[in-house]
Amino acid sequence: MTSAVETFGLTKRYGSVTAVSDLNLRIEPGQVFGLLGPNGAGKSTTIRMLLALQRPTEGRVSVLGLDAHADTVAVHRRIGYLPGDLELFPRLTGREHISWFARSRGLDDHSLAGHLVDRFQVVTDRPVRELSKGNRQKIGLVLAFMHRPELLVLDEPTSGLDPLMQREFENLLQETAGEGRTVFLSSHELDEVQRSAHRVGIIREGRLVAEDTVAGLRRAAPRKMEILFRRPVDQAELCSLRGVTVTAADGPRVTLDVTGEIGPVLRVIASHDPVDLTSRPADLDELFLGFYRQPPAKKVPNAG
Amino acid sequence: MRANITRLDLRLRRRSTAGYAIGMALYSLIIVALYPSFKNSASLDSLSGSTAAALFGVTGKLTSPGGWLNGNIYGNFFPLIMLLLTIGYGAAALAGQDEDGTLALIAALPVRRRAMVFQKAWAMAAQALFLAAAVTVCVVIGRGFQLAVGVGDAVAISVALMLMGLDFGLITMAIGAVTGRRGTALGVASGLAAASYLLSSLASTISAIRPGRYLSLFYWSVGNDQIIQGVSLGDFTVLIVVGLCALAASVAAFRKADLN
Repeated sequence: MTSAVETFGLTKRYGSVTAVSDLNLRIEPGQVFGLLGPNGAGKSTTIRMLLALQRPTEGRVSVLGLDAHADTVAVHRRIGYLPGDLELFPRLTGREHISWFARSRGLDDHSLAGHLVDRFQVVTDRPVRELSKGNRQKIGLVLAFMHRPELLVLDEPTSGLDPLMQREFENLLQETAGEGRTVFLSSHELDEVQRSAHRVGIIREGRLVAEDTVAGLRRAAPRKMEILFRRPVDQAELCSLRGVTVTAADGPRVTLDVTGEIGPVLRVIASHDPVDLTSRPADLDELFLGFYRQPPAKKVPNAG
Repeated sequence: MRANITRLDLRLRRRSTAGYAIGMALYSLIIVALYPSFKNSASLDSLSGSTAAALFGVTGKLTSPGGWLNGNIYGNFFPLIMLLLTIGYGAAALAGQDEDGTLALIAALPVRRRAMVFQKAWAMAAQALFLAAAVTVCVVIGRGFQLAVGVGDAVAISVALMLMGLDFGLITMAIGAVTGRRGTALGVASGLAAASYLLSSLASTISAIRPGRYLSLFYWSVGNDQIIQGVSLGDFTVLIVVGLCALAASVAAFRKADLN
């Protein structure tokens, strides 16, 4: 099956600054893919290269089976785009925006646009300069979705939306994916991506440091385990186990970070006469913060 | 072509376009209406021929119909307003809208970069045409105020000045497409236009810079006594060729440009 988006060694350099480095992504149709990373990680640059707004220094992008830079017009016909830091024309109203963009796409049927305007309670009769950030963002969403594109590329789509509208937007994403259409969105917020994305890529300093399903990432996230033994134990044996890090040891009380399977760890613990054990679930937040902070050397194995 | 960028940009600039045209029309009407009061003023003619007069675009006898129009409209104010319009739009059209962040929405539509530039060039031409038409109509009205000027001559010189405006506007657009910066485009193009004006107007009195006048687009539109002699085919050719080159440069640069 043709992937919805595929990048091959995508790299963008501005002079000596590398914004995106050797990015290889593959997004299947019908997926919601979330590109997650701190500000300045290269998310927007990646998105601009998908849309051929910027040229890659190296590598190439395939969108809906076409070359993003050679077949720009054909690709753009099938994409809906919401830029990050959306800017509209201040003097035009929402309605004027919608009708101009609809006409530019040769869209005669405005029923979906009308439906989205109602659904997101978009203010369409006032010049954009009089609207709040959230209301402008909603106009941007209508412009991106109104022609029912096969691929949606949304750069920080929920910025400025109130929680109610964020919920509505998440529903819209699920419906879109349910219809077999694909969504590529970027965010710096874990919560947002966790709720709506099937797969997540984490980008840091222009490099993809992890790519997996949310469940897969959760499996890779460390569990914190605290054990009280009857007497002090030799940590060496615990340390030698795969995926185990001793984070604290105070006499008979030992704290571990455990990734991966828990069986081998439990067997070793059991052999040392434990008194008590508490285990906290995988903390995804901690995992992401780890990715944000660490140099991008550590790569989570792709869980498929 | 579905993405009607020309229409959008004209809509966005309709106030400024109307403002320039109305202002210039009113000014032109006042100038032509004042002509009967000045046509016999001998002291005015003594101004001509000085370097100071040349600095203000005044050539020939100020009291003659052609000299009056040249010294008050065609030699200075009309090109100035025309250049404000075309250079302003040329800087905003690509680099300015990109800096504002609005260009990305349009560039993500199913429209070629080349078509975007062409449509913006049409928008520039439409604005310039509107201004030129307003001035021409007012100058022709001047025939009722003893300004003996041929309709054809008035149209020709307005068209020549419009083409010169478009040349500088398209040069501005090209600089904007190369640099992505509105300020740079505005600054460099305004500098070029000012140098071009000085080169042409001072060439009539300062012999040292006389050979350089061929480099000035003012010389090819209004600086070579076109108001008296008429605009030649050669003048039009130079103005059109320069415009087409600037347009081609804009397209070439914009096709490679990284947008925000």
